[in-house]
Amino acid sequence: MTKLSRRRFCITGLALAGAAPFAAALPAAAQTLKGGTLRVGVLYELANYDPQQLSTVNFHVIKNLYDSLIEYTPEGKPEPSLATNWTIAPDKTSVTLTLREGVSFHSGNPFKADSVLATLQKGADPKRGKNVFSTMAIVKDWSAPDERTVTINFKAPVPDRQILDLLQFLIPIDPKGIDTVETVPAGTGAYTLVSRAVGQGLTLKANPKYWREKQPLAQDLVFTVFSEDAAASAALESGAVDIVYNGSSRSAVRLKDAGFQVFSGPGQLVQVFRINSTRGPFRNKSFRQAFNYLMDRASILRVGYAGMGKVVALPWAPASPAFDESYTRTYAYDLDKAKKLIAASGLSADAMKGWKILVDGSNEASVTISQVVQGSLAKVGIPVELDMRQGAEYVTALLGGDFDATFGAVGNVQKFPTRVTTNSIYRTAGNPILKDPHPHPDYVAAIARVDGAAGGEAEVKAAYDNLNRVLVDEAFGIPTNSYDVGLIVASEKIGGVTLDIDNLFVARTIGFK
Amino acid sequence: MRDGLISLGRRLLARRGAALSLAFLALVALAAAFAGLLPLDPLGQSVADALKPPSSESWFGTDELGRDILARVVYGARTSLVTAFGAVLTAALVGVPVGLVAGFYGGWRDSLLMRCIDVLLALPNILFAMALIAVLGRSQSAALIAVGVAGIPGFARIARAQVMTLRSLDFVTAVRGFGGKPGYIMFRTILPNALSPLVVQAIVLASIAILLEAALAFLGVGVPPPTPSWGEMLRTGKSYLYEAPSYAVLPGLVLTLTILSFDTIGRALTAILDRDETDASGATIGGRR
Repeated sequence: MTKLSRRRFCITGLALAGAAPFAAALPAAAQTLKGGTLRVGVLYELANYDPQQLSTVNFHVIKNLYDSLIEYTPEGKPEPSLATNWTIAPDKTSVTLTLREGVSFHSGNPFKADSVLATLQKGADPKRGKNVFSTMAIVKDWSAPDERTVTINFKAPVPDRQILDLLQFLIPIDPKGIDTVETVPAGTGAYTLVSRAVGQGLTLKANPKYWREKQPLAQDLVFTVFSEDAAASAALESGAVDIVYNGSSRSAVRLKDAGFQVFSGPGQLVQVFRINSTRGPFRNKSFRQAFNYLMDRASILRVGYAGMGKVVALPWAPASPAFDESYTRTYAYDLDKAKKLIAASGLSADAMKGWKILVDGSNEASVTISQVVQGSLAKVGIPVELDMRQGAEYVTALLGGDFDATFGAVGNVQKFPTRVTTNSIYRTAGNPILKDPHPHPDYVAAIARVDGAAGGEAEVKAAYDNLNRVLVDEAFGIPTNSYDVGLIVASEKIGGVTLDIDNLFVARTIGFK
Repeated sequence: MRDGLISLGRRLLARRGAALSLAFLALVALAAAFAGLLPLDPLGQSVADALKPPSSESWFGTDELGRDILARVVYGARTSLVTAFGAVLTAALVGVPVGLVAGFYGGWRDSLLMRCIDVLLALPNILFAMALIAVLGRSQSAALIAVGVAGIPGFARIARAQVMTLRSLDFVTAVRGFGGKPGYIMFRTILPNALSPLVVQAIVLASIAILLEAALAFLGVGVPPPTPSWGEMLRTGKSYLYEAPSYAVLPGLVLTLTILSFDTIGRALTAILDRDETDASGATIGGRR
């Protein structure tokens, strides 16, 4: 069982509060790196510049145009960023931040408390808060005693890790640009926007007033959008780009063998076989529980992700405090156990048929791993079809809950465990798939217990154990494996790569050897 | 008619290209029809054996799930041939009557029906098929209908042109004079005499249908997995070019040869029938060959 580290985080945070203004100082190795034009191949077209609409399609720009209030090291230790100090109240019902001086937005406006307040206001707005909104559920209100201080109050005592996760997730936006942030970036980041050609690429240039000393290294940052993973790899091999970001695991393995550098950060995703427990045979708990044993996780990891990742039976990355390896062994692929549970369900052969696995036809890994499950189901006498949909059609069905079962990755799995509820299938309220009232009250109660476990380590551990037990018992989400998102594959002349806790692309420390 | 078909077959076999094409298509059709009797499993997964190169156990290697590529190509022939046959049937069953009615009656019926056909013709086949599949859902039936609908204009225009040529000839006038009803004249008198170009069109459309089905599968909107399909295999094989260069070779080769065979036969038939027509015209008008 992973050791709990809440106290460590708190102590580390307080210790760093008095650290030098530039705690994220330039790595020693980076001192020898040269600047220039950094050319990056990406596989996704940017959706917009709003940091509160964080998704894999804008992973490559957010940490270059914006800064967070605090950062995590790859090991998960909090570090100052735009907030130089944070003090969690002894009763854990508030946190007080001290904001960095001498920072300005790209527009020239100074960074002050008003921008943090405007950002909190946007995040708490159900229409404008987007991804941040659910995280703001713990926040009661906020105030700014002066230009350099912000206090955030919580509705109830909140575990330290959850508070730190919130601060790391909050990215201050220029108040004057907050209404147009989807189309015009409004951050304090190391790079400013020069131009964008939709569907083709994006050009950024170094922010001359950036607050981190001697950063960014590269003067220009040019992103080129590739529609094919193989085309991006070929561009790297031919020297047309210096880095490929967020390519496939399979290409990364091949390119690593060919001598390229591969960097994988701690911010993995976990692939989850999502089950709509409000439909057909999935209303039956025994039938759902059979899927814990029907997942040939090792094959899924191998064919879908070239073996890069780890098989898991819980929705946590290995870095999560709730991660428990024993579940992976207990719920290993076992068709006999699956058959027993299917028999125990009492469902007729006809009742077990007639459902489909929704598949993202444009995602090669999704197609392949769905066929692995289809093969396992055929072995236990349940023939199912794949419901192939493309792009937006798939996303609409996925987020709208219009499916029987489907694979879908979940994020925030290395952070505070209840952050898993930011993913649609794990939402405790307003769940678009399972609807309200939530059909699994034990799960809702288990999440609430973790949220309320602000006491000693034993209490927290018991809350995590209970949540894990409930997750496999209710079996509406069957995790299969963690895998890398935001892989960085770079030519050997590149150095100074910084790994982000969420695997976002951070260009400011990257230079040429 | 039987003698005519035998004669046509002999003349086709006399052409080396057409004979080879017929032989290849016969092989593909036999493999598709009797695939179940062969020791081949197109669906059996063995992830441990994924992307293996050709060997004595798997003559053309294995795919990303360890399935035998040869088995999937053989069973994939069923997908292609059934789609092609169904599409031709759909297109002919709709297109031929439309062309017959338009050509036979003329006037507003002709204008109305041909404008509808013009609309169909104006739509790019692949886009139209994709739109139709988006509505019908991804399945073999949807692919078959989509490809078939795209083939309707060809049959309609050829049938119409034939009717307009034949409707004023003496044998049609005679039938009309004996009180033949329009339906009888169109389907029993004119149609049998207009079959030759329609048969050629059917063969040409079969090759187009196989290509279109493969293109749809290549674009990810064809027959859903795990049903084997040549286009789907090409699509997936493209992603594994580095790890398994041999993956896409067999499906690509068989697809190319099948289309080439249909096309060769279509050309040979056209040449034979054109020659017959020329001979017939010569005999009628000039009184000598």
